[in-house]
Amino acid sequence: MPAHLRNTIRIGLTALLLTVVSVSSAFAQAEDGPAFLTNRINALILVIVFSVAVMYFTQQARKGKTLFLRKIPGLDAVEEAVGRATEMGRPILYIPGILDLDEMDTIAGVSILGRVTKIVAEYETPLIVPARYPTVLAACQEICEQAYAEAGKPDTFNKDSVRYLAGEQFAFTAAVNGIMMRERPATNIYLGGFFAESLLLAETGNAAGSIQIAGTSQPEQLPFFIAACDYTLMGEELYAASAYLSHEPLMTGGLKGQDLIKVILITVIIVGVILSLLDHWNVIHFFDIYSGWFQEA
Amino acid sequence: MRKTVPVVTAFVTGVIVTISFFFNEHTTLIGKVQGGILQWVTIIFGLALALGMVSITRVNFNKIKRKQEGWFYSVLVIVSVFVMAIPSALPVSWSPMFGRNEGSLYYWLWTRISEPMMATMFAMLAFYIASAAYRAFRARSTESTLLLLTAVIVMLSRIPMGEWFLRLFNESLPDWVNIYIMNGFNLSVQRGIIVGAALGAASMSLRIILGIERTYMGKG
Amino acid sequence: MNVWERLAAIDRRWIYLACGIAVLMPFIIPVSLPVYTTPEVQGVYDAVKNLPDSSVVMLTYDYYPSTLAETEPMSRAALHHLFSKDCKIVTISNIPLGGPTIAERVTRELAAQYGKEYGTDYVNLGYKANYVAVMKGLGSSIRSIFPADNSGTPLGQLPLMQEVDSYEDIDFIFIVADNATADYWVSIVNAQYGVPMCCGATAVMAPKMYAFMGSGQLKGLLGGMKGAAEYEQLIGHKDRAVRGMDAQSLIHLLIIGLVVLGNLGYFMGRREKGIGR
Repeated sequence: MPAHLRNTIRIGLTALLLTVVSVSSAFAQAEDGPAFLTNRINALILVIVFSVAVMYFTQQARKGKTLFLRKIPGLDAVEEAVGRATEMGRPILYIPGILDLDEMDTIAGVSILGRVTKIVAEYETPLIVPARYPTVLAACQEICEQAYAEAGKPDTFNKDSVRYLAGEQFAFTAAVNGIMMRERPATNIYLGGFFAESLLLAETGNAAGSIQIAGTSQPEQLPFFIAACDYTLMGEELYAASAYLSHEPLMTGGLKGQDLIKVILITVIIVGVILSLLDHWNVIHFFDIYSGWFQEA
Repeated sequence: MRKTVPVVTAFVTGVIVTISFFFNEHTTLIGKVQGGILQWVTIIFGLALALGMVSITRVNFNKIKRKQEGWFYSVLVIVSVFVMAIPSALPVSWSPMFGRNEGSLYYWLWTRISEPMMATMFAMLAFYIASAAYRAFRARSTESTLLLLTAVIVMLSRIPMGEWFLRLFNESLPDWVNIYIMNGFNLSVQRGIIVGAALGAASMSLRIILGIERTYMGKG
Repeated sequence: MNVWERLAAIDRRWIYLACGIAVLMPFIIPVSLPVYTTPEVQGVYDAVKNLPDSSVVMLTYDYYPSTLAETEPMSRAALHHLFSKDCKIVTISNIPLGGPTIAERVTRELAAQYGKEYGTDYVNLGYKANYVAVMKGLGSSIRSIFPADNSGTPLGQLPLMQEVDSYEDIDFIFIVADNATADYWVSIVNAQYGVPMCCGATAVMAPKMYAFMGSGQLKGLLGGMKGAAEYEQLIGHKDRAVRGMDAQSLIHLLIIGLVVLGNLGYFMGRREKGIGR
């Protein structure tokens, strides 16, 4: 679809939605309480600033401005790891986490799978993608099929390389560990949401002698991956991975917007800490003054 | 069409759910629309289970048909899946063996086989953590030495014997561990990662809602 | 391979064997050292203690059978504490496997001890798919998400549920979870609906939950079996978690011992080779 048509649809739908919101507010029953929740204005301001920042940087990127992205060694290692698997004649195991498709971690994992599969398809290396949820299975099959087609090798795609194993966390882990020990993949890639199984998977992969690249936004699992894997993507790096691998300016624009919000949040935190300290030292009681603004006279 | 419909759906539902956050869900139309969308999500996820059944059956059936190595385990997988799933979906009025209540086949298999097997898998973590900690905690640099010492102190403070041991040095030592390590360094680092990850997730959500990020559909 | 090199590279099977022995030992020789109470667990105890009698409390069973050793003692202690205050309990599970069955078994067992009746004093809602949608949906109407309880009885027929239909009717949420649902209870239900809550989480998850304790979103935190043991001690029902402390103590000491041995081997080996001088 041409870009201008897509933009027209977006603007049209936004206008339609805003109308729905206005109409719904008008139909709100006053006796049941206010339609608009004023206590969420802070979140609304953040959403607006965030959206504007992301759209601004995306627009900048579209105009051709180069945006700097720092190196993420774990992602740079993907191609090398695929090459190693090809040389050894062993498969690559890719797990997009153990969460369902409505989780951002899984969407990030599944998005990166598309990029990785394209490289895998070019090298004609066997790929194994175990899924824990049927929805993830369907998405992964679709993505892999598309990636093989884009790499010009649609016939080499084996639909059963993406497979549903088990819905239960540890049954899934046992099944994946079984694959690791039987099929001895040269590379294991864990990108998505991982929990108690993280170390069970990473230790088994380590024992099987595979190169391991992991990434999750679950802070409590990061120490396990760092201990047992060769490369680990931490927190937001997972969400940035898809944009990083794509090298598309449109995608990196979103990351810049995110950075701007982070700068704003850091500033707010620093100012808050300073005001708290001033309050503590009895220099100025800003928080009392602030709450006084909202008290009725 | 295959790409446009999902993008438009993601945009419309994403914007409705985001905007509805700022409105009273009981009294506004948008709140009710959001409620409807959430019910649909629950229904779709439930129905998607059938996809899993098809995949697991096909992969294992092919393995049996081709008599691949370990095909016997595939027979066990298929039998287990259907023995657990079918009787649990049938009404209890037909037989006390059906359904998922106490006394049903599902309940028996669950409590006698599934539960102990899951507990065993989780218990294996203790073994794996011991071996990973032994390999990873080496004082190779200043940072790793700090990590190692902190880990040892926290491990000691999390057990009665260790607490008792730490109190031999100073009565308040375990409390300091709690205040400075758990509620100090740990808390701030966790917050940093959580805030960063939340912003990353929000940025990715926005990219999906606006149709910039379409890799999850195999496009991009 | 000299002795230092051997120490630095112990085969993982020996480590597994040592772990097995460390877990079994306390069954033969129990130690039972006192457990000190941390402020986080005291927070849970105080939050429940300060609830008015007969408050409506939602207790979550968001855990798989795999973590029963850590999480079930928390649920049992919570039920002891809540039933002793005559609280009305609504149990829910966002985990398809295990959660609803465990909720049924544990709640009924404890309810029988306190003479509580199903439908009037407690209700088990069971499980519905997609926890984010469920948690948000419960804010609008519990009945729209759970038309019937875990056994299929319509909620309208249960006296307790005639008075409870959204978070507005719930005074407190006691989360017991072994997965990410705990984060969502905080970020969706506490942040958006303002329901006070506390959390019982596995030891692996606990460090992350400190962030929510610090922000005041959680009133208290039970971290792993140690947290459960402290809570059991506070409510005066020493049970499984207190008993499990011996095994946990030994395995922690074993890991510390292994780390020391590994480092000893590493440094002595380097010294012999003359590296780092």
